Amino acid sequence: MSEIDALKLQLESLQSEALAAFSAADSLNDLQALRVSYLGKKGALTEVLKGVGKLPPEDRPVIGKFVNQTKQALAAALDATEAELAVKAKSARIESEKVDVSLPGRSGPKGALHPVQQGLDELTAIFVQMGFDVAEGPEIEDEFHNFDALNIPPEHPARAMHDTFFIKDMRNADGTEPMLLRTHTSPVQIRAMKRFLAEGGEPPLAVVAPGRVYRCDYDVTHSPMFHQVEVFKVDHDVSLSHLKGVLQYFLSAYFEKDVAIRLRPHYFPFTEPSAEVDIGCVFCAGKGCRICKGSGWIEVLGSGMIHPNVLKSVGIDAGEFSGFAFGLGVERMVMLKQGIPDLRLFFENDVRFLSRMGVAK
Amino acid sequence: MKIPFSWLKKHVALAANPDQIADDLVRLGHEVEGVETPRAAVKGVRVGLIESKTAHPDADKLSLLKVNIGEAEPLDIVCGAANMGEGDKVPVATIGTALPGGLKIKKGKIRGEVSCGMCCSEVELGLAEDSDGLLILPADAPVGAEVGEYLELEEAVFDLSITPNRGDCMNVRGIARDLAADAGLPLVEISMADFAVDDAVAVPNVSVSAGADCPVYLARSIQGVNVTDSPDWMQASLIMAGMRPVNGIVDVLNYIMLDLGQPMHAFDADRLTGDIVIRSAMQHEGFAALDGRELKLHAGDLVVSDDASVIALAGIMGSGATGVTGTTTNIVLESAFFRPARVSETRRIYAMVSEASMRFERGVDPAMVGIAMQRATAMIVELFGGKAGDIRQCGDADAINAGRTVDCSVSAIATRLGVDIPPSADDVLARMGFDVKRYGDQLDVTVPSFRHDVSIPEDLSEEYARIIGFDAIPAVLPPLAVTRPARQDRSVHDAVSGGFLQVVTYAFVSADEQRLFVADDGMDIVLENPISDAMSVMRRSPWPGLLNIARYNLNRQQPGVALVEQGRIYARADAGQHNETNTLAWLMVGQAQPDTWYAPARQADFFDLKGAVEAWLSLRGLTGRFIADDAIQGLQAGQSARILVGRTEVGRIGRVDSEIATGFDMDVPVFVAEINLDVLPSGKKAKFASLPEFPGVERDLVFLFDKHTSSDAILNAVKSSAGKFLTNVRVFDLYEGKGVPEGKVSLGIRFTLQDAKRTLTQEDADAASASIIAAMEKRFGASLRG
Repeated sequence: MSEIDALKLQLESLQSEALAAFSAADSLNDLQALRVSYLGKKGALTEVLKGVGKLPPEDRPVIGKFVNQTKQALAAALDATEAELAVKAKSARIESEKVDVSLPGRSGPKGALHPVQQGLDELTAIFVQMGFDVAEGPEIEDEFHNFDALNIPPEHPARAMHDTFFIKDMRNADGTEPMLLRTHTSPVQIRAMKRFLAEGGEPPLAVVAPGRVYRCDYDVTHSPMFHQVEVFKVDHDVSLSHLKGVLQYFLSAYFEKDVAIRLRPHYFPFTEPSAEVDIGCVFCAGKGCRICKGSGWIEVLGSGMIHPNVLKSVGIDAGEFSGFAFGLGVERMVMLKQGIPDLRLFFENDVRFLSRMGVAK
Repeated sequence: MKIPFSWLKKHVALAANPDQIADDLVRLGHEVEGVETPRAAVKGVRVGLIESKTAHPDADKLSLLKVNIGEAEPLDIVCGAANMGEGDKVPVATIGTALPGGLKIKKGKIRGEVSCGMCCSEVELGLAEDSDGLLILPADAPVGAEVGEYLELEEAVFDLSITPNRGDCMNVRGIARDLAADAGLPLVEISMADFAVDDAVAVPNVSVSAGADCPVYLARSIQGVNVTDSPDWMQASLIMAGMRPVNGIVDVLNYIMLDLGQPMHAFDADRLTGDIVIRSAMQHEGFAALDGRELKLHAGDLVVSDDASVIALAGIMGSGATGVTGTTTNIVLESAFFRPARVSETRRIYAMVSEASMRFERGVDPAMVGIAMQRATAMIVELFGGKAGDIRQCGDADAINAGRTVDCSVSAIATRLGVDIPPSADDVLARMGFDVKRYGDQLDVTVPSFRHDVSIPEDLSEEYARIIGFDAIPAVLPPLAVTRPARQDRSVHDAVSGGFLQVVTYAFVSADEQRLFVADDGMDIVLENPISDAMSVMRRSPWPGLLNIARYNLNRQQPGVALVEQGRIYARADAGQHNETNTLAWLMVGQAQPDTWYAPARQADFFDLKGAVEAWLSLRGLTGRFIADDAIQGLQAGQSARILVGRTEVGRIGRVDSEIATGFDMDVPVFVAEINLDVLPSGKKAKFASLPEFPGVERDLVFLFDKHTSSDAILNAVKSSAGKFLTNVRVFDLYEGKGVPEGKVSLGIRFTLQDAKRTLTQEDADAASASIIAAMEKRFGASLRG
């Protein structure tokens, strides 16, 4: 056998041995080692090339070409195997990194706004959107703001119906009357109008006043502390018809559907005419159920045209301006909207109740 | 107030049924709290004329009747009663009728004879407990008519809530007046039986010395009455109206009051001494009231007295000693007008409410004072005999409330209501007793004496609104003003987003709870009339409320709670003033993190709550400094701090004293914090600054410090020593134990240097490190750790 044939044979067997080794490799590391051992500087192919120098010069290009072919074949095989192994390795990694996506995510404790807060926020937002300013007032009030200025003089029967908490040993500014816990948010009407006028304002004036109020009454359906939102507007030619329009808009906005409303003539000292406002029962759609006592209507708030004596008490010309006002119980509105059956739940603050009711829609 | 339907119909011939009347009442502004139906109408029982009566062939006690009920053929009815004869009219229950007792009438045979109905007694119609035969109807009863309608058997009682302005509707006639005006029906004249005045009966001697409070007082003697029970119909009416029958005289007066609205009183004349005087009480004068109470009167109370003692607190209650009993024979009747404010004030002083006082304080009809006296006298004389003397009258009823007019314009009322006022509405107003005159746009209205609530044009607008009906008023949105909205308070919302549940607790706590966190400095605000001791003091700290809620929930198997509350705290201030301070308060107790698949459970500690407060502050662009303070009442020394923003103290934080926590049934650490929202500076809106272009250098240094060295002080020292390139510094490691000498802690500090103009070098970092190391040594004697 000639030298060249022997070399060729050697290369062929090297190639077949290498290809076998490549396909046996089961990791990229093994394959890298094989690449070095066959194609590296001190690799098997290099060893073979060393024998080329012994060949006659005319044979050298022939065998050189043959060596190159072998080298390319091995390199191609290595690349192919490497790609294959890379795919396998990735699949294996993916498999090994698989998680149970149904396990709960990492999170801290979840907070929730109290349902009364949600009600206050929603109600206030509706009026702010309609251009009403937000106002607040003190909870410890004098009789002037809570009663007298609202056209409820001391001997008035309505005053007795308010179940007022009085403060021990605390008198009003001129020392003539005891201080009290406000029984409604209506005194904010007086304070807001006075402040507005003192700052040089001229009607129109439109105010929404949310806050805590107190009544000396504690049973299944009464809490000694609860929340009200007072709403009023004073302008030229404000009418009962405007009151009805605002009530219709706001009640539909709050309950997020078109609700039927009904005004019933009523009596409040601070409004004339006065009306109690019913909505079509949100539970039975007016058909009559236990909640609406079969009537199809649910009473939601008291309203009316501001009594001229109230405007006079703050120095607004009742001949030139008129206004409407209404006040609503926040707990009651939230109970109706969210189907909460018992007023006491709001003040027990059971965290299970709070968490459940805190879920935003 | 309860008003029977049948009683209403004595004043107006209402055609509508009780349900329709209830709707009308609501529309007119009289809230109907309920409609009771003590008796429903019997349907299917008709007036029958007995055309023939023959004996039953097989039964001695039965008769065969042919009864005409207005149909083509008379009915054959077998009847067991004996009291009827040909030509009598009787109630006939026709086939299919269900009688009140539950019996349903069917066609059948009785002892072989066909019977197509049943003739009824009072018992079968549910009108009586027993009877001795068929109910024989009057001869003029219309044949074939429904007996229920003919006898007006249907009864309904309206339970009305009369608003305080409508004293005129606290009686049947007042309600009837509104219904009649609304329906366009006439009001029946008040019926008055005749009686003779006997001049031999002495007229009582009466004088009024408090004329302002008692503008008119009528008195009359009736002698020789025989006080028996009142008639059944009157007792039944009183009971349906919610009053208890007492004796004949009292029942008549109560009946008159419910019917006409005028409260009256009767004295036993034989128990009076001398003359009657209506005067102001003397200070501390005694009065033994009918209800058994012994009152000490105040000067100014209006009383009726005789020469010996006070015999009535005017308009409120009579004395026990002078009341009418079953043995009374001579009486003095009183009918008067007492000033509403006087009655209201006195009534409130003694917390004494009566049917009379409710009417007087809302204002009775002065025109009714005399009519009621005449009507009561007539009824008493008719029912219980006796001779009535003439009336002694003090003052003049006509002068009260007379001739009040309201002048206004139709268009002003139309503008206030947002609806036109049709002339037909004037007619309704007139039927309500007003004298209405319209001249173009000008409206002159004279108000009737019983309407104390109408005096200004706005009052008239309410009358027109009721007449036109609120349903007829259109709903129109007013022109909306657009104003610059104030920024919304997000305090509690941000706390909630940090994982806290918002609670709402009462603003009052017990005095004992108040003392846990606030010293007794006399600045508490205490309720005069609390619900209970537990709710008697306005809170000066939000923490007792939160502790109560934590206890409530931990008692219900909660492993821990994180709560936040926004609300006011209240305290006295100088010069009789008081403060209401807006406060945000937190509480954490128990598990801060439950057992999970990725981490074990962790109990809340100081730094959980501090982190929450810091995060909350940072949301408003603020950084708090937490200054250790061992003297915060109710908090544990060594785990409590004041919170400062800038130089302002804005709040406090700490662990609740363990004994206090135990008092709330919690034997685990409880942490609380509060922020005074009123003093909290408003954070600055961030201003843009260009972001650094060159990379920073980060270095770690670990020192051994004496234990209890404040990390705040350490970081401040780093900041002042690290040089101008320092952009950030923080504690990245804290260790004590093995490898760290006793009394020392190992504290790792990581700081970042950065410059806007160039990339910093190792030399820059080395210089800063050296400076920091020197400062730590000098300031704290701290050494760099190995």
